[in-house]
Amino acid sequence: MDQKSAGLKLSIFFCQQIDANQDAHRRALEKELGSKISFFPLPCSGRIEPLHLLRSLEGGTDKVYLLACAEGSCRYQEGNIRARKRLSYAQTLIEEIGLEARRLELINMVSGNSKTIEEIVRELLAREADVEPSPLRT
Amino acid sequence: MITAERKPLPEIKEMIQPFRKILVVGCGSCVAECASGGEKEVGVLSSALRMDAKMAGQEKEIEELTLDRQCVYQFIDQLTNRIDQYDAILSLGCGAGVQAVAEVFPESVILPALNTTFIGETKEAGFWVENCRACGDCKLAFFAAVCPVTRCAKGLFNGPCGGSKEGKCEVDQESPCAWQLIVERLDKSGRIDQLNEVYPPADWSRQQGKGPRKIHREDQNI
Repeated sequence: MDQKSAGLKLSIFFCQQIDANQDAHRRALEKELGSKISFFPLPCSGRIEPLHLLRSLEGGTDKVYLLACAEGSCRYQEGNIRARKRLSYAQTLIEEIGLEARRLELINMVSGNSKTIEEIVRELLAREADVEPSPLRT
Repeated sequence: MITAERKPLPEIKEMIQPFRKILVVGCGSCVAECASGGEKEVGVLSSALRMDAKMAGQEKEIEELTLDRQCVYQFIDQLTNRIDQYDAILSLGCGAGVQAVAEVFPESVILPALNTTFIGETKEAGFWVENCRACGDCKLAFFAAVCPVTRCAKGLFNGPCGGSKEGKCEVDQESPCAWQLIVERLDKSGRIDQLNEVYPPADWSRQQGKGPRKIHREDQNI
């Protein structure tokens, strides 16, 4: 079953460089999915902290995506590499408490991506759900 | 700075198991620098413990606070008006900080979330190396600021052991041979003659064997 049909609650942390018009392009999804989706634009994916990811899960999110630019394409050189390392560290932290590492997933865009944030997230929603609803849901 | 590492989570969970309302207290100094006990780490640990408790069906209230320094009374005093609310304090300070808080609040349960490790430097982001053993008898002037107590695995004071290979210590191949560094630096700074001196063993009584060391400065006691 795809993630949208499964009713999963998703958090999308994403680099603003992916879609210059992200503010407008995510409105349709926010209206359609309501509390099932939360967007967190970042000036660079490297701004992510493990704390952001953990707090998102603590708040009942089933799965957190971190969308980053292609490696080698970060306008701040190594921001997306930092993002990868921090997400990986956050995965070790959640595994310590029995949550699956795949609840946190990094997705690197292809170089020269022209898709809007809405298009990208709709593709994610169409993916097969690989996690159950979070045991932390209230 | 003093470095520390977070204890394994099962150990922390076991320590806090009997307590319901817990304050996780970080320190903004050394342990923040080595990414083990600062504000971010307090947040991460607290979040993890809250999630864990919720999934286990345990009633736990876990709150967060970070002090600038956990080893100085003026900062510890920030706890005075709130500590009684909590069943336990989970400290992310170094051993000095944990004990300092406990001295101020002897009736409270103060638990250590970190294992204090060594005095060291930040070699690069994410990499800390021990470089001082607090021996109390500093000889860095003789050894071009390379400590043979700490950085020579054998603690030699009068030249290399001869076991190094390509500049690396034979005991710890990931570390440079301290004596190679000492000789190179004495040479570069025109002090190679210092190698002719014979240095006696350190006075270890300055470091150990007499209980906790103390420093008194009346001029600082205002």
